Parts: sequence; C-alpha cells; structure tokens
Amino acid sequence: MRDLERLVGLLRELRGGSTLLGYRVAQPVPIFGEIRGLEDLPLSVSDVQGPGYYRLVDGYRFRHTYGSPKRYLLPPEHAILVVKPSYEVVEPEREGGGVILFGIKPCDLSAIEVLDRVLLGKHPVYTARRLGVQAVIVEECLEPGETCFCALMGYGPVASGGYDLAYARLDRDRLVFKPSSKLGWELVERLSLREAGEEVVEEYLDMVERAVDTMKRRLPSLEKATSAFKRLIGSVEFWKMISERCVGCANCNYVCPTCFCTEIVDRVESDHATRVATWAGCLSYTYGLVAGGHFRRELYMRYRHFVLHKFLFYPKQTGGLVGCVGCGRCITWCPLGVDLREALKRAVEVAGLEG
Amino acid sequence: MRVENPFIFERGLVVNVVEEAPGVKTYTVRLSGSYVASPGQFNMIYIYGLGEVPVSISSLPRRRGGYTYVDHTIRVVGAVTRAIVARVAPGSVVGVRGPYGRGWPLREAEGRDLVVVAGGIGLAPLRPVIERVAAEREAYGRVNILYGARTPEQLLYKRELEVYAKIPNAKLLLSVDSAGPGWPHHVGFVTDLIDHVDVDVEGAVAFICGPEVMMRVAVKKMLERGFKEDRVYVSLERRMRCGVGVCGTCQLGHYFVCRDGPVFSISELGEYFWVEGI
Repeated sequence: MRDLERLVGLLRELRGGSTLLGYRVAQPVPIFGEIRGLEDLPLSVSDVQGPGYYRLVDGYRFRHTYGSPKRYLLPPEHAILVVKPSYEVVEPEREGGGVILFGIKPCDLSAIEVLDRVLLGKHPVYTARRLGVQAVIVEECLEPGETCFCALMGYGPVASGGYDLAYARLDRDRLVFKPSSKLGWELVERLSLREAGEEVVEEYLDMVERAVDTMKRRLPSLEKATSAFKRLIGSVEFWKMISERCVGCANCNYVCPTCFCTEIVDRVESDHATRVATWAGCLSYTYGLVAGGHFRRELYMRYRHFVLHKFLFYPKQTGGLVGCVGCGRCITWCPLGVDLREALKRAVEVAGLEG
Repeated sequence: MRVENPFIFERGLVVNVVEEAPGVKTYTVRLSGSYVASPGQFNMIYIYGLGEVPVSISSLPRRRGGYTYVDHTIRVVGAVTRAIVARVAPGSVVGVRGPYGRGWPLREAEGRDLVVVAGGIGLAPLRPVIERVAAEREAYGRVNILYGARTPEQLLYKRELEVYAKIPNAKLLLSVDSAGPGWPHHVGFVTDLIDHVDVDVEGAVAFICGPEVMMRVAVKKMLERGFKEDRVYVSLERRMRCGVGVCGTCQLGHYFVCRDGPVFSISELGEYFWVEGI
C-alpha cells in the first residue's frame, strides 16, 4: 500500500494541479468522486453485489459502486448554453481542468472508449472534460464480483490499452504494476519498483485466467447472445416476458457507464435562462414521447431498446464496440433486481441457440 | 481538439406569418446570408425559457439583400409550438440553429418519375421538393402529388395547391377524411390515392411524409404496386433534442434520426420500419 501512497504523491508532483478522481469511501456506499488522499480509497473493503443488492464487507476486492467515470465526463446535469431574453447567447464556462482518473476499473476504461466513439469531438462538455484527463491509473480485478461479466464482453478483467499505469492486487498486500505509456514507465521508475519475478507473473496470469473462466462459465457467449437478439427483435412476447418486473425507473441507465442520452431543459432566472442537459434514461416513460404521440409507449419497447442498443446498435454506432462492458451495475442497482444476464440467457434459449 | 458548441443558435427575425389552417401557421424567418439548407432538412427553433423544437424547413431558402429567408410551418402540438403559434408574430425573434439531418435525395430522383405522398403537416417538408421540381421541371419525369388532410379546412398551402395542379406533366390528387357537399376530390385515406398513381412504378422515386401509421400503409401499398424498396423514402419524426447525434433521444435502431435521417429509404430502415417501438 505504501507504493500506492507514493504513486498518489508522484502523480500530484508530475501532474500538479490535477484533481484525482476515483472510487472513494463514503456513507452509505462508496461514490465516484475526488480522492484527497490514500485514506479515501476503498482499500480495505470488498463489495458483495447481487440483483438489487449491494453491501460492503471487510476485504480487499473492491470492484465498483453506482457511480462511474461517466459522472465526471458527462455529469448528470451540465450547462450547455446561457441565453439572454434578447436571444443573445453566452457560452457557459467549461470545466475541463486537469484530472487524473485513479483506480478506475477495466470495465470503466472500456466504457470511456465506447463513450469516446459517440461523443468525443462532438459533445462540447464531454470533449472538454475528456481532454482534461491527464492520466489514467487502472485497478484490475483478479476476482470478479457475482454480477460481473466483463470477460464475456471482451472488456476485462485486465486493462489492455488506453491507460498509463495499471495495478492488480494479488492479495491484501502485494501489488503488480503494468505500465502502458511514457508516463506509466516514468511512474514505475520513480517508484523504484522491483521487476516481478516469473513466479509472480505466473500467479497473476493464473488469477486472470481463473477470473475469466468464472465469468465465462456463467453465461452464453456474446456471439450467441447477439445472434439470438437479432432473431428476436420483433418478438413482442419475448420482450414482454423479460421486462415483466421492470418498473421503468431508469436506474439502470443512470448507473450504466456507457448510457449517454440526455434531455435539455431551460432553467430561467431573472435575466437569463440556462439550457441544461440532464441524463435521460430510455426506460423512462418520456423516452420516445413526442408532443403529438409516443414512439415507445410500452415498457417492453423501452427495455428492448436498452438491451438491443447495448448489443446490436452500439457496435454499429461505434465502429464495432459492444455497448455493454459487463460491469453488472444495472443488475445491482435495479430496485427489483431485473437481471440483464437473464435476458442474455433466455434469448439464447428462446432462439434455440443453446449448446 | 475543441468542439464548436453545436447548441449555439442564431437570432432569427420573423418577417411574415401566414395562417394555413386552424392551429397551423407558416413563419418566414430571416437568417444570416451564409445559411443554406436542402429540402427535407430541419431546424431547431428555440423560444426563450421554454425550449427547442425540431421543425422542418418548409421552403427552399430564398436569398435577398444579404439574408436567407426560410419558412417553417408549425402546428400546435406541445408547449413550445403552442407558445409559437400563440405569440410569435412579424418582428418577433426566435432562436434558430440548423439545418440538420439528411434530406430528400433529389439528385437520385433526377430523370425519374416522382411520387410525393403527404398526410397532414407532412406536406411541410415536401413543399421545398415541389418548389424545386416546379423550378427545374425538365430535370424530372412525371410527377404525382398525393396529399391528404382531415378536412378541406385543414389542407395546408391552399392557394399553392392550385399552382401544384398546373405543374406540367404532373398530377395532384387530394383526399380528406371527411368533407361537406361540394368537395370535388376523394373522401377517405390519402393512401387510397396510391391506386391512381400513373408513373413508371419500377423506376420511380417516392417521397412520403405523414403520421407513421399512414406511412406504413402507403409503403406497403407502393411496394405491392411494384415500387422498389431502395427508392421509396420516408421522413421520420422522433424526439430530437440536439440535432447532431449526441443526445441520443431520437434513436431508431442504430440510427440517430436527427443526423442519419430524418429521411430514410425503406431498405435502409429494414425491420426498424415495421417493428413497433423499436
């Protein structure tokens, strides 16, 4: 842990003025927010996650919480324009100061890659904030949580690019580091780390393999799930069945690290109005609503969009990236425990693609 | 990388208002001279303190004295349109940004017969098509215009319809759901008029805009008559907030209707067009 402490110190030195953002201990549950020091990191807890279930126990396997880097990169509310009653337009000030993403997970890193393909260079707030990211430090996961299936999506449990330095906890006290950029190598050097011996590397790779196996055993392959969904696009019966318990609260959308939909509202004050973009979930009733009618009036249609967007539509919008990173947040934070993995399994069954 | 803020609009001066039908008005807005748009594209119109609505551009842009003028035909459906129709008058300023989206593929229609099918306010985004065809008549083959409204009173651009009827080598067919005595045209659905289309269906291009139910019936009938899926186009409505494919609310399958549409060929849409609520 001393190495992590020195890493935080070094990052502050090398990227002075940058704010560290990551998973931070808080009550009642950890949040994604500013890391002020090592004591903020959830280093001595493990999360226990299940459908509609989240709690912390003593341990050293913290995976994630409801928040993700999306909360910073595309905040729940962000001003996009300030307008005077005379229709003069003033651009709101952009926060885009330097930040360091510290201890984010491989699923988070993949989610950023997905968001980049949709928003980077197009969305002014996302772009400014994304370009303000000075360094990315990833904490890999060597033991998947119960709701985790990143390996199935090809997005985890280890980081494979787009970061500066990654580390994994072999156990409570031993860390292995994996640099991936000039900054990453510089950090490793300045930390004067010892090169990992063969047996340590082997131990690490074994744990990765076990983690991947654990996840892959739980679910059908992405390929199968995708072809099942393709066949079932028009099956009202199937979508009604798997969305039966959904209440349309859109929690899944808000905790999803790749959901990016927003609505725009006017907040009026005495001498100006601020046009504010707010997160909009496709499970909400208003998704698809227009003044003269509704294009997704029924809940099963909106649930179907949530699922098909992740598995069929994102790949077409991003040049091949699946929109689900397998973090399982939508399962954990669903008040009714509606389980996306059930959709995958049942789709494969109903489409007759088992075996 | 710095992104131009796509939400910035310009001040549009409303210079003329025409009442087309009850609750429907056409607003001519003066924009900067650099503004250009093609038929089928739309603008986002902003009303201070209320918000924005997507509105089809219902005329070809007209250049005059260093400015560009375009029409927007607006029907009262929600809060913003109600505010516009209630209180926007000549001399008013509105926020305008655009144009957005991909319009009608007029280039592809050149040299071919063209069928225009419009239901209700759906004539608005097709009006610039008809204006273009009338202005460059020799570039297109035979033209059929099929237009339906609820009642004769609800028909848009009433005087212009007489002009459409006189376009050479063209036919205008009208339909209303119900009419009093003296209505000389069809009573029923606009899609009934597809039986009377007299173009070379195999080679023709069709542009359709109206309520989605009407468009589904129209497309079905036209495909049955021999029109080709990749030459039948519809203009779709969805909940649009940004216009540039970042807010996500207008998604239809993998398309962002605001950016990839609103005009799509039936072959591009595939099952998205037929599966309800996709």
